[in-house]
Amino acid sequence: MNKYKHYYYYLLLFIIALGLVFLGLVLGSVDIDIISYLKGEADQTTVYIINNIRLPRVLMSVLAGAGLAVCGAAYQAIFRNPLSDPYILGVSSGASLGASLAIVFGLEGLFFGISGFAFAFALFTVWFIVKISSIGNRLHNTTLLLSGISINFLMASIISLLMVMNKESMDKIIFWTMGSMSSAKFSDLGIVLFFVLLGIVVIRIFAKELNILLTGSETARSLGVDVEKTKKIILFFSTLMIAVIVSYCGVIGFIGLIVPHIIRLLVGSDNRKIIPYSIFGGIIFTLIADILARTLISPSELPIGSITSIVGAPFFIFLLYNAKKKLNP
Amino acid sequence: MIVEVNKLSYFVPNKEILRQISFSLKAGGFYIVVGSNGSGKTTLLKCLSGSLNTETKCIKINNEYINTYSPKRLAKQISIVPQNTEILFDFSALQIVMMGRMPYQRLLQTDSALDYDIVRNSMLRTNTWHLRNRSIKQLSGGELQRTIIARALAQQTPIMLLDEPISNLDIRHQFEIMELLKRINQENQTTIFIILHDLNLALKYADEVLVIDNGELIHKGKAIDILTKENIENIFGVNANIIDNSFIHLNKK
Repeated sequence: MNKYKHYYYYLLLFIIALGLVFLGLVLGSVDIDIISYLKGEADQTTVYIINNIRLPRVLMSVLAGAGLAVCGAAYQAIFRNPLSDPYILGVSSGASLGASLAIVFGLEGLFFGISGFAFAFALFTVWFIVKISSIGNRLHNTTLLLSGISINFLMASIISLLMVMNKESMDKIIFWTMGSMSSAKFSDLGIVLFFVLLGIVVIRIFAKELNILLTGSETARSLGVDVEKTKKIILFFSTLMIAVIVSYCGVIGFIGLIVPHIIRLLVGSDNRKIIPYSIFGGIIFTLIADILARTLISPSELPIGSITSIVGAPFFIFLLYNAKKKLNP
Repeated sequence: MIVEVNKLSYFVPNKEILRQISFSLKAGGFYIVVGSNGSGKTTLLKCLSGSLNTETKCIKINNEYINTYSPKRLAKQISIVPQNTEILFDFSALQIVMMGRMPYQRLLQTDSALDYDIVRNSMLRTNTWHLRNRSIKQLSGGELQRTIIARALAQQTPIMLLDEPISNLDIRHQFEIMELLKRINQENQTTIFIILHDLNLALKYADEVLVIDNGELIHKGKAIDILTKENIENIFGVNANIIDNSFIHLNKK
């Protein structure tokens, strides 16, 4: 097999992503003349729209998409469960509860605002779930997934109660929890970039270990992988990454689930390939979803989470159906 | 002595799975463990492989206590072939065997030419090289088990532990795997330790047989001395006729 084949594909995907970035700058409720902007001849309004609204949200989509997709690939490997996604450990529900509380009690001015509360609650939720699922020093996969699901339900009910009791905040909570890039600011991009890069680098360093974890934790141990340590490192850095993304973008579902799956169908299960491809796949998917979210019913906007789910849910059902067919042919 | 076990006990809540087991294995020996279901054979193997935590100072591998090994160092001493290998994800046979080189690689290190040579050699010896680009999910039971043995070979360990490696295979493939293991044992001086249900194969291949019953090691010695009519009746509760010292004919009591 041609060793350099993949680099051509990476280049191709990079060009597609770059094209979508430009498309993301051009499309929206106001038509933009990107050529004159690049030449530096655009009027003040155009410059303002691009620099302060469109560029940050396009860059935020790039970071969120890459982070969510890589995290999904890593979780599917450490839990040996193809249905795992970045939110399975309660990051999303924790963040949503934190954000809802901040919105309902008007705490937006305090402590980094809504994002700060979302981040703190996300980390607390994951810590709690990991704590109750550790038996001795070992993380028990099934318990981890089941307690994650239960906590997700618990948090969702608390959010529903909050909404029913505070009808005036309902719109804002719903919009926040379904995800949106509209509030992306340049000042936020630095911190998101830092955690996303850190998360992806750490996951890439352990890609070979992730491959071996896919063959089972006992086998992995016999092949010299420190299973518990690897799991904890991956969980720690990917949780940080996802908590930061969720705090700024809300809950964007299904990217973390379906991108690694599509990549796996195309290039096999080697995480050393899956990770770079997932970065591009996540970026492309998120950029398209964001462009659709703000052009379909322009000038108003759809939550990006609803767009990804409309594509994602049927795919998820297809996966479940196929998995069932394999069990009972 | 490459493996020394001294008064090994293993408990789960309310139950003692292994009781005061002591034995040692000579380097280059071919050992077969027999015993009824639930006797503790697999637990013993998991203790030896380090995947179950045991009390310190019970097990010595190459003159060092097993608890002092890091996972990586232990993986250079002991390789394991489990009973069932279920791989849900799509890897080629070559990728699976290459995983055997993991203990010798640092983080982020790519597979070297040496790793590739060792993997190729292991796959040629187990007759799996022609399967190298096939998906692991498409291999037959025998092919899969030979691939897993190739991975264990690529680990280049002095000790290989196998948990009922032939239970799911037909009789021709059972012999094929046993012959392969015997060759590995003779050519590499690998110490082989196998859990097996087939007493005839134990009689044919083992240097020594270990009998585990109810969590205790009750016999250890040459197969022909251990697998006697009386012992088989006591352990498994079946009538045994031993014909020409080489074939055990079993029937229900």
